Amino acid sequence: MISDITRDVIVLGLGNPLMSDEGIGGFLVERFLSRQQDYPQVEFLDAGTAGMSILHLIANRKKVVFIDCAFMGAEPGSIKKFSPEDVKSVKKLAHQSLHEADLLKIIEISRKLGSSPEKIVIFGIEPSEIKLNMGLSKTLTARMDDYIAAISDELLDESK
Amino acid sequence: MSKNLNINVKHLTRVEGHGNIVVNATEGKVENVQWQVPEAPRFFEAMVRGKSYEDIQIIVSRICGICSISHSLVATKAVEKALGIEVSKQTDIVRRLLHYSEQMQSHVLHIGYLAAPDFFGVKSVVPLVSIAKDAVLTIVRAHRIANEWSELLGGRITHPVTIKPGGFTRFPSEQQLRELKQTLTDAVTDLGVIVDVVCSVADKIPAFERETEYVSLRESAMYSFYDGEIVSTDGHTCDVSKWESVANEYVSPQSTAKWAKWHRGSYAVGALARFNNNYGQLVDPAKALAEKIGLKQGCCNPYMNTVAQLVECVEIVVTSLNLIDELLSAGLSEEKVSVKPKAGIGSASVEAPRGILFHKYEFDKKGICTAANLCIPTNQNHANIQMDFEKIVPEIIDEGEDSVRQKLEMLVRSYDPCISCSAHMLNVQFVK
Repeated sequence: MISDITRDVIVLGLGNPLMSDEGIGGFLVERFLSRQQDYPQVEFLDAGTAGMSILHLIANRKKVVFIDCAFMGAEPGSIKKFSPEDVKSVKKLAHQSLHEADLLKIIEISRKLGSSPEKIVIFGIEPSEIKLNMGLSKTLTARMDDYIAAISDELLDESK
Repeated sequence: MSKNLNINVKHLTRVEGHGNIVVNATEGKVENVQWQVPEAPRFFEAMVRGKSYEDIQIIVSRICGICSISHSLVATKAVEKALGIEVSKQTDIVRRLLHYSEQMQSHVLHIGYLAAPDFFGVKSVVPLVSIAKDAVLTIVRAHRIANEWSELLGGRITHPVTIKPGGFTRFPSEQQLRELKQTLTDAVTDLGVIVDVVCSVADKIPAFERETEYVSLRESAMYSFYDGEIVSTDGHTCDVSKWESVANEYVSPQSTAKWAKWHRGSYAVGALARFNNNYGQLVDPAKALAEKIGLKQGCCNPYMNTVAQLVECVEIVVTSLNLIDELLSAGLSEEKVSVKPKAGIGSASVEAPRGILFHKYEFDKKGICTAANLCIPTNQNHANIQMDFEKIVPEIIDEGEDSVRQKLEMLVRSYDPCISCSAHMLNVQFVK
């Protein structure tokens, strides 16, 4: 249980599909799942807003690739690949509830516990719209093939 | 110590709203105490209108990443009520088991990741790893077991996909249930470690009480999480079909979230409410833990909600083992579910980990949703948090600003609030 740990690489799509571009991670994982046969060593999972459960999903893998909506100060629709070391979180956590989550903090905890994958890659996609809506904005919809190509390159090139 | 206070804990963002704590006092005179919730309204009721009865539970499971199983289950129950669908005993038990897995996940997370840092005097779980790594690893292990439990029965760790009106898309095998039984039996050791850790820091729980109306579900046969009638510690009862007359939701000028009240100015929901209403139905090991740690029926200390969650963890494991035995001795069978859509209205309730949760839906003759009303537990607690604030601040004002701020933040956390998990995006600046 807890995913298929026989696969060394896991791709986690994060976000809420009811909140428009915030759900980009899940929408992209859905696309990859329809082409699972092209990526036999990769597990794809729509992790939704699972928060701390990410700890278990990534534990003892060789590599994790996160796909998440990210405020990066970039053009809406932009995709950027980075590692946790490339960025600092400017997200304010209230520590009031389990329902707030900061991916970078979860990665930090995973590393402190000694169960973090060696390779951690994050694909951040700058949102155009975050509002109650069950689909992506036109801006992100138009760029889905670009996102697939960028992430696919990361997954198929074994040197990465 | 100065008797002037100027506390303004603001976490205001419209996308990921959290509560603000505002306190002003001059020369020991409290001028302003407010629990503000500036969260953006989310209008899930509008989102399910026009959708088929078959899709409601999938959509509403995305309301929350922590309580997704509770939202799926209560929606499914409400749909079944509206469409006149009866479920089998087997479905009822497997749903209860799935529901327990979420309670366990959430309680362990709250105790370990949100409340424990307060008890150990650190700001979050990140520094806690450095000073109490073994305790954190135990929490992580217990959380993982609960996650696997959810995945086995719900098809995924969160946002379950196996629940459907009338039953399940698939049931676990008997072998899987036997393995789950062994896993839960083994988990008792970890639970014991968590109990010992909480007992060792129990003196850090603030001594504060305010007489409160506690509201929860109650079942005659067992400690209730999944079904029953609405009861309050003030002695009132209400059928779930009339839940709107319990919540009496209203708008407060200091909050964009709706507030609730029943017989008093506020009421509380959650583990302590369940404990206070259903103590008699707890299994003996859970009662023994409550006694060991000093939690008594009738407790009106909101900080003890975390302890009540720990007691519930024991209840959950023991009762789940009994339910697994019941399923195995009866033998699992495939179920064919046939549902004919029809017009109807249905209300239902379950206990989410953080308190009683209500859903109501109306469908047309084709089974298309025409109206919905959802009431989450945290909205039912907002007014109670405000009233706790108003009582506790004058009592602790002499402790100074830092202590008052800390105790108010702990108080909010003790309610285990679900203020928003609508969006979890990253917010980063590049440093390389």
